[in-house]
Amino acid sequence: MSENILEVRDLVVHFETDDGVVKAINGLNFSIGREKTLGLVGETGAGKTTTALSILNLVPNPPGKIKSGSILLDGRDVLQMSDKELEQMRGNDVAMIFQDPMTALNPVMTVGDQIAESIQLHQFVSPKDAFEKAKEMLQMVGIAESRAYDYPHQFSGGMRQRVVIAIALACEPKLLLSDEPTTALDVTIQAQVLELMKELIRKRHMSMLLITHDLGVVAESCDDVAVMYAGKIVEIGSADEVFNQTRHPYTEGLFNSLPNLRERGEELIPIKGLMPDPMNLPEGCSFAPRCPYATEACEKQPPELRHMGGTHYVACDAYNDPDFCLRRNSHG
Amino acid sequence: MAENEKKILLEVDHLTKYFNTPKGLLHAVDGVSFQIEQGKTLGIVGESGCGKSTTGRSILKLIEPTSGKIIFDGEDITKYSKTRMRRLRTEMTMIFQDPFSSLDPRQSVMELISEPIREHRLLRGNDAIQKRTLELMDTVGLAQRFVNSYPHELDGGRRQRIGIARALAVNPKLIVCDEPVSALDVSIQAQILNLLKQLQKDHGLTYIFITHDLSVVKYFSDDIAVMYLGQMVEKANSDELFRQPMHPYTQALLSAIPLPIVGKNKPERKLIRGEITSPVNLPDQCRFLKRCDACTKDCETGKNPELREVAPGHFVACHCV
Amino acid sequence: MENTNKTGNIRQFKGRSLGQETWRRLLKNRGAVVGMIFMVLLVIVAILAEFIYNYDTDIVAQNSKAIFASPSAAHIFGTDQFGRDIFARILYGARYSLLIGVGSVAFGLVVGMILGALAGFYGGVIDNLVMRANDILYAIPNIMIAVVIVSLLGTTPFSLLLALSISAASSFARIVRAAVMQIRGQEYIESAYAMGLPTWKVILKHIIPNCLSPIIVQVTLAIGSNIIAASSLSFLGVGVAPPMPEWGAMLSDGRPYIRSAPWLCIFPGLAIMVTVLALNLMGDGLRDALDPKLKK
Repeated sequence: MSENILEVRDLVVHFETDDGVVKAINGLNFSIGREKTLGLVGETGAGKTTTALSILNLVPNPPGKIKSGSILLDGRDVLQMSDKELEQMRGNDVAMIFQDPMTALNPVMTVGDQIAESIQLHQFVSPKDAFEKAKEMLQMVGIAESRAYDYPHQFSGGMRQRVVIAIALACEPKLLLSDEPTTALDVTIQAQVLELMKELIRKRHMSMLLITHDLGVVAESCDDVAVMYAGKIVEIGSADEVFNQTRHPYTEGLFNSLPNLRERGEELIPIKGLMPDPMNLPEGCSFAPRCPYATEACEKQPPELRHMGGTHYVACDAYNDPDFCLRRNSHG
Repeated sequence: MAENEKKILLEVDHLTKYFNTPKGLLHAVDGVSFQIEQGKTLGIVGESGCGKSTTGRSILKLIEPTSGKIIFDGEDITKYSKTRMRRLRTEMTMIFQDPFSSLDPRQSVMELISEPIREHRLLRGNDAIQKRTLELMDTVGLAQRFVNSYPHELDGGRRQRIGIARALAVNPKLIVCDEPVSALDVSIQAQILNLLKQLQKDHGLTYIFITHDLSVVKYFSDDIAVMYLGQMVEKANSDELFRQPMHPYTQALLSAIPLPIVGKNKPERKLIRGEITSPVNLPDQCRFLKRCDACTKDCETGKNPELREVAPGHFVACHCV
Repeated sequence: MENTNKTGNIRQFKGRSLGQETWRRLLKNRGAVVGMIFMVLLVIVAILAEFIYNYDTDIVAQNSKAIFASPSAAHIFGTDQFGRDIFARILYGARYSLLIGVGSVAFGLVVGMILGALAGFYGGVIDNLVMRANDILYAIPNIMIAVVIVSLLGTTPFSLLLALSISAASSFARIVRAAVMQIRGQEYIESAYAMGLPTWKVILKHIIPNCLSPIIVQVTLAIGSNIIAASSLSFLGVGVAPPMPEWGAMLSDGRPYIRSAPWLCIFPGLAIMVTVLALNLMGDGLRDALDPKLKK
């Protein structure tokens, strides 16, 4: 039994469209340990959702093509699995929660039936037993059992997301993929749902990949953090390492853009420019055009992933200079 | 000089908006009152369904209020018809939330920004209008090369800049910003917020900043009003509100924000239970009752608490404070 | 900032409007392009036919010596029971199909758009009145409406056009209403009000132009179905009367001779079929080109 439930190695995913090739993921490397939660942070277009879909081998093909790389789920390569093996794996070993609770549920099936559907697909139980189990799942996520007979439109956004969680956890998967699970919810409901997820994951000894753009959510819920930019991981480590010993200029830029920690009146320091067009990625480091520390060398050569101590890795050639240090870290 | 100091640009008194629905009377906005000084920013915060967007739109008379008073720059505009309001459209404008649906997809950037100028005949002649449009693009940080582009060719951040240029084109006194950065990525949010702040300094603008994002509202506003189910439950100066939130809902709201801090310095979170109740057919009772941890017997038997001043400049609507 | 130069010439900066985008995507669809080329050719033929052929001598004159001639070099599509050249009649007849098809859709569009916009925009009582009247009209088959109008006004191309306009108006009203209702809720309409635009200007400047996408698709498909309808009605004798070389009428005329001289039916039938196919290919292509989900 490997110590990692998931290992993504050198993943490359392109989308071949009429207008050109979209290089969504360009050499992705990360792993998730057993019973650990990894937060995958990045902005729109970084490739986070594509990553989650690749793990389930659900990237729409056409136009998406997994060009190379391997995704080891508990030792087995997902990208080499047959259709039957994939069907068995999805929902059972790995489950996914999508962003929008409003459209994630089938409007014409009762909530109980939708949970039971997943159970019936993967386990050999009678429909009656499956429905009973579905009711138990509802209770586990904090919804009264009697509501198993209700339809999605009778629930609010927060409750629908709980139903989605119930469906995902019904077959006791080892790994949960959550794509921005609380972004569409109100702040107070967001807090409730995150607490629920943390508790369930802990109780059931699961691992989780939490995709989000919200650094606050990551700090709340994740053991480890990976920062993604233009289809690559630019910084990865434990939450403590990435938050308190930030090394990559992009991560620093993200922290500087947050109004939370600033005093009123002090200007925010946004990252200038925009994320590069994935059809037209710059040579060398993808972040170089926006990086305040970039040198000419950065624009020619893509940076190597280097070890910064502990479990902390950074893809930045500025550290070729052993005295280099981000402004954020140089203030005592 | 001194006269400008405490000029109240907008005064809202017991603004109410009810909607008739098949299920009953929907209390969207219920007796909201506040004042804003010229050059300042009032942040209105709340979660979905609290009535903040309806409040913003009622102030601009895009929605007709059911009752109450709106006094803009000394003028009572509450009962103004659409035609009478037209003149004021150059004084109060709005920035919308969704950069993807707030611009007519058939208009180019030039057309979008010059439309208010042409409509109100603020300038004559194509050359003058073109010049002014390019100036505005410069002010909001839109590169000149986009002047003939269409919205679908641009990203969210740039589209929002177009929206800002449109609102600014008529030299307004008041701008209502309805969640102007919620749909944008974090780094773009920061760019737009900085821009809005700079514009306020340069042009002496007054803002009403509507959002659900508490971290943004703290950074941006002088005063903050917290809304719940159509009512203002707390109102105070920005620093004061964060330092000493008094209403249980405000406390829960602040506590619920996930802080991007890892380590022992992190404060404990206080979770709020339950869901927001229906805004239809509300009885005269505290609306936060079912979810409140601090309520007493008095709260259950008492009426809906009014907003009252419990400390200088700090207003709370709660029986227990 | 890159903006420090004076106003100068801003025409150097290019932008691509939605219309241009749609056109570009449409051109990538081979079927649609073939359909468009065919329709352009058909229109040219319809116009030129007037100059190539003389109505009295070539189209309606009977030539008893050359009746039922099978297709040959002299008569590419053969001749009919009166010795008239079928090829000439088909080319000439294109004008009827096009005029009636396009004309009825044009009238129907104008009326339907006004009614649909009013119903969609104001909602409430107006919506109810307009749409219920529309439903009643929609429920009556084309043919019956045509029969009634033709019996009142006679079997002329105009009465056929009028009859088909009514059914076209009905479907456009429904489509425009749906489009207007959807657009009405968009923030850019609110933005227009916030700017102080009066209602009539909002409708004309912002709502109607944005309705065009679903309308354009429906227009091409409606022309096709109206051409078939016109032909069917003429086939039944309720449309254009002989000796005018309308394709449906020609089909009807040729029916008794379908065994002995099948070319009397084959060519008019093919003409109808190919024209409608071309229009449908265009319509489908347009629908795909306009569909935002099919982008990147």
